Amino acid sequence: MCDRAIEPGRESVYEVVWPLGKSAAAPAVDPTPPIVDLNGKTVGELWDWLFKGPEIFSIVRQRLKERFPTVKFVDYSTFGNIHGSNEAEVIASLPEALRQHGCDAVISAVGA
Amino acid sequence: MVRASITAEKAGVRSVSVVSSSFMAQGRMVARALGFSSLPLAEYPGVIMLDEEAEFRKKIEGGLVDRIVEGLASDVEVASAVAEPAPRDVVFTGDLAAVQEHFYQNMWSDGLPIIPPTVEKVAAFLRFTDRSPDEVIGTLLPEKREATVWNVAVNGVMAGCRPEYMPVLLAIAEAIAESEFRIEDAGSTPGWEPLVIVNGPIVKDLDFNCESGAMRVGRQANTSIGRFLRLYMRNIAGLRIAPGGTDKGTIAYTFNVALAENEDVVAELGWKPFSVERGLGAGENVVTVQSVVAISLPIYVGGEKASDLAQTIVDIWAKGDVAAWAYTGMACGKWHPLLVLSPSIAMAMARQGWTKDDLRRYLFEQAKMPAGVAERYAWQMGATSFSLRRMVEKGKLPSEYHASDDPERMVPIFLRPEWIGIVVAGDPGRNQARGYTGNHEQGVPVSKQITLPGNWRTLTKG
Repeated sequence: MCDRAIEPGRESVYEVVWPLGKSAAAPAVDPTPPIVDLNGKTVGELWDWLFKGPEIFSIVRQRLKERFPTVKFVDYSTFGNIHGSNEAEVIASLPEALRQHGCDAVISAVGA
Repeated sequence: MVRASITAEKAGVRSVSVVSSSFMAQGRMVARALGFSSLPLAEYPGVIMLDEEAEFRKKIEGGLVDRIVEGLASDVEVASAVAEPAPRDVVFTGDLAAVQEHFYQNMWSDGLPIIPPTVEKVAAFLRFTDRSPDEVIGTLLPEKREATVWNVAVNGVMAGCRPEYMPVLLAIAEAIAESEFRIEDAGSTPGWEPLVIVNGPIVKDLDFNCESGAMRVGRQANTSIGRFLRLYMRNIAGLRIAPGGTDKGTIAYTFNVALAENEDVVAELGWKPFSVERGLGAGENVVTVQSVVAISLPIYVGGEKASDLAQTIVDIWAKGDVAAWAYTGMACGKWHPLLVLSPSIAMAMARQGWTKDDLRRYLFEQAKMPAGVAERYAWQMGATSFSLRRMVEKGKLPSEYHASDDPERMVPIFLRPEWIGIVVAGDPGRNQARGYTGNHEQGVPVSKQITLPGNWRTLTKG
């Protein structure tokens, strides 16, 4: 029952339903393993074309190469704008692009 | 950005996302909603655009690089499935105050009292559609929940709508579920709000206000349908403000009431209704949903010539709010500012033979701004690589945007005349217009026909 008066003079009691919807998030996947040593690894740069990305990637690239001399980078321009007009297409093509360039890891920037 | 990282993770590629401090919580929530209880985030402390060069470099070299390395070396955890209620499950029982408190504590309400969504009240809404309650209309990011006929009704009840508004609510849900609308970006920092524009006989059938105070709360159809959309974004897309929400509107503003066009005036002038200009048929019931990031000052116009009236709109609106936001349209290649004209202005223009298209053309041709102003503001907003020269070189803007390198050269403010929406509404006795500036490619106008149930006339007479 809902909207029911328990007794005269008392407030109605309501039985209410959930206002949200079923989650459509894809089922969980196996977690990727940690990468402790970037030597010999290929890192893809993903960028949203905002907030000084080229400057950030330039410094990060330089410092990571000092620590891990054989790390390689795939420039952000390779993948396209991950938050632009064609975001859906860029994201959809990302798995194949990462495979094609042999990426072991990505640095995704810049959320601000 | 977190969505890109998750795509990489699902492809078996380790990720780390660089985010500034105020986006850390949002990043975690988006990741959780998409199935990751832990996803590496590397924090840039503070506000990137306010740091001087030396400080910027120091924060990257002295911390961000370490956090990137740590992030890549950390464990990623996928979220375990959480049991959630089925649509018809009763999730709470209590009196009115207890229901309000329960909904507020669970972040299911907007801070205003809601009408308790009981199964009976939801059923009353479902009578006004021929669609199955379980039909999935779409999925709404960032929380990626299913929009269904059932939960449209639930949120419609909560918002204080009447059951007969249900066909309008369904059309709104369809519109925002279209991928081109980009509902996932409705929590972006500009804090844009969707605006519902209603056309067709339903304006009268449901008693929308399209005259004085057209954009004020006060008429149930306009107000509760506007509130419904904000509640629906909250509960299905998960766009809630902090704490606990992914909405990053820096200051933002509250929901718009639904805007209904005064089609009697439009017809009298021989002008086309907004919905017809959007490609729908004359006489069809239509909703259009589009983003609004800024509402202009009231624009009072006067004069003998239509161009006098239009020039004031250029000076106050186009060279004001619209110019300030113009670079976003130039950068994204999509932008649909909307102008609301009170009927008296429309009549004055029509008397001189002007149509909506004539006004649009005038605005497009006369509204120009210095290129340097657009580029300077783009940088300050965070589009640090924006360059009109590069946009022209890549063919993304016409050559007139880079006729020279002079920052004082004038460039068009509007991208295309046909992308300026015009709606006639407001007090017929006053000479006022208002501009509603959209947020570039986020919340582009999406129009949907309102589908009435087969027994609509019987239901609405009863």
